[in-house]
Amino acid sequence: MRRPQVWLLAPMVAVLALTLVYPMLYAVRLAFTDPLTGDFPSLANYAQLARDELFWRALRNNALLPAASVAVELVLGLALALFLSQRFPGRGALRVLVVVPFALPEIVVLTIMRYIFVPRGYANAALGALGLPALDWLVPGSALAWMTVVVVDAWHVTPVVFLILLAALAGIPEDIREAAQLDGAGPAARLWRITLPLLRPALLAALLLRGVDALRIFATPLVLTGVEGVPVLSSYAYHQWADYGNDAAAAAAAVTLAVISLALSVPLLRVRSET
Amino acid sequence: MARAAVGRGDKPRGYPETPVARRLRVLLALLGLALAAACQPREHTLTVAVALLPSELPGYREVVRGFEQESGWRVVVVPQQYADIRRALAAEAAAGSGTLDLVELDIYSLPAAAAHVAVLDEAALAAELPALAPVAVQAGRIDGLRFLPHRLTWQALLYNHAVLGAAPRSWDELLAVARAHRGGIGMKGARYEGLTCDVLPFVWAAGGRADAFDDAAARAAFRFLAELAPTLNPQSATFREASIAEAMARGEIVLHLNWPFAMSLFASQGLAPNPIRAAPLPAGPAGTATVLGGGYLAIPRGAPQASEALRLARYLLSERAQRHLHDRLGWFSARRDVVFGNGSGLLAGFAAMHDTVRARPARADYPRMSRLWQEAFRAVAFERADPDAALAAAARQWATEQARTPE
Repeated sequence: MRRPQVWLLAPMVAVLALTLVYPMLYAVRLAFTDPLTGDFPSLANYAQLARDELFWRALRNNALLPAASVAVELVLGLALALFLSQRFPGRGALRVLVVVPFALPEIVVLTIMRYIFVPRGYANAALGALGLPALDWLVPGSALAWMTVVVVDAWHVTPVVFLILLAALAGIPEDIREAAQLDGAGPAARLWRITLPLLRPALLAALLLRGVDALRIFATPLVLTGVEGVPVLSSYAYHQWADYGNDAAAAAAAVTLAVISLALSVPLLRVRSET
Repeated sequence: MARAAVGRGDKPRGYPETPVARRLRVLLALLGLALAAACQPREHTLTVAVALLPSELPGYREVVRGFEQESGWRVVVVPQQYADIRRALAAEAAAGSGTLDLVELDIYSLPAAAAHVAVLDEAALAAELPALAPVAVQAGRIDGLRFLPHRLTWQALLYNHAVLGAAPRSWDELLAVARAHRGGIGMKGARYEGLTCDVLPFVWAAGGRADAFDDAAARAAFRFLAELAPTLNPQSATFREASIAEAMARGEIVLHLNWPFAMSLFASQGLAPNPIRAAPLPAGPAGTATVLGGGYLAIPRGAPQASEALRLARYLLSERAQRHLHDRLGWFSARRDVVFGNGSGLLAGFAAMHDTVRARPARADYPRMSRLWQEAFRAVAFERADPDAALAAAARQWATEQARTPE
């Protein structure tokens, strides 16, 4: 690269260093500094996290929640994309309806969802109207609360997967499917042998995009169930910072999340680049 | 038209100056002047950061206007949340200078903020200090008097009168209510300071101390809480001030402890004083007690106008200002001559707790102590741990942390 071009990059590099690199390095230093004695390096913060049962729940949820949520999103997104790629009257309106949840601000969606799932909320009112018993949708630590978080998160973000797959479906030449149909392949065979293999790059792109994004899940469990209900690492870090003023423990949790995200992103990126 | 501008004036120009460009130049010059003016130190102006709700700002401004008229100084009131004020104070302390002359901090954060604020001259406050409740003044003494009680608050029992008829007056009555209305009692059981504010009244009511985890009184309190635990509303593990109040408004719980703001909230929803009312906390073996909360004034170490800020603080603590804040905003005053005026109304239960208010320990390591109370309670209430064992574990952890803390 010629020298003048290098200098043109300098302002951007400086901004990135100041707003991204320095805070990251500072957070790492904070994570490995003993808050009581100031010793560095120290594993005191990690020892504190290891003693905290909520941290282990957050760690476990950070692995399971994104996996469940992305799985639901991929299945739903694919089904919706396949359905709405067909030609039928009202298809445009339906496509808009499917995308609406993603268009709404997250905090609005979650506040509405909270009112739906609180003990005397709309969900239990609907169950009552049907003569069914009320359910404890958001009871802290329960399996139902966990599933509620997965469903709400998936509902909000499925449109992203839907849009990626819909665009990919539009790119599959119609004549390939017609040829398969002429050769006697039924709908299931066409889906399994033609559509899905051709969708593989788009599916991997959706998986990569949502998989990495889902690891930093934060607002959905926090708003629906509080810090303690369905904890994840980001809400745990926020809790340490906001409720305990414990910057060091928050940094330790955040660094843990960053390491997990990196560790999972690299194989996903490798698969994507090979595809 | 553009060409016509070329060559006008003495200097040759590389580009023609259009009317738009000329206006832009004037605008930029004005902006520069405004920026320069904004960067100038503001003479005779005090900047005060106070935790005010938007609805409180006009009333507070009225009070401050009295000081402005008396002193000739202009006061800029910056309404912020306590957490933001705390961070701004820490940032200014780290920078070594700042713009804040006077700040209001919540009582919980005083120990952590002590290093960032100035020690106040008690001689200069000779007229105000004797008029204030000693417990409130004492809470502001951390290595010297650094904080002045701007407003006080404390918790009372909020209950659904239509369902319960009367509030439980003792631990036995509370337990009876809990068993008769399973899931109807809520506690703020989330992992935060609000939980400690719910737990300490029980410890104190048993004769215990906030800084003693493993004494007989604390064990008695926790055994009672262990009896109460199976009847608590299951959402208690995540309840905080606002969410527990919402649950009560929806009718999901019939009784909980909360601050006066919750009664104002219920009143605005038409739920108070009927069916929701406030009452004193139930008495334990050693009586009843509630946690002191509130906002305290302090002068940052790097305050540009420290002496005038002290004058403003004295004005805000005057009988006239405190009465106005009480009447206009419903604030509880630390002044003993500002009589609690809502004794027969919405806040009757709070008024009845006036003489039982206790401050949390004013020490820098209080947040860690508080956290251990929270962990012990959560172990007992939500994991059904043995109360004695939970307290013993807290005491051990406290001793370990104390041993590791440098002198």
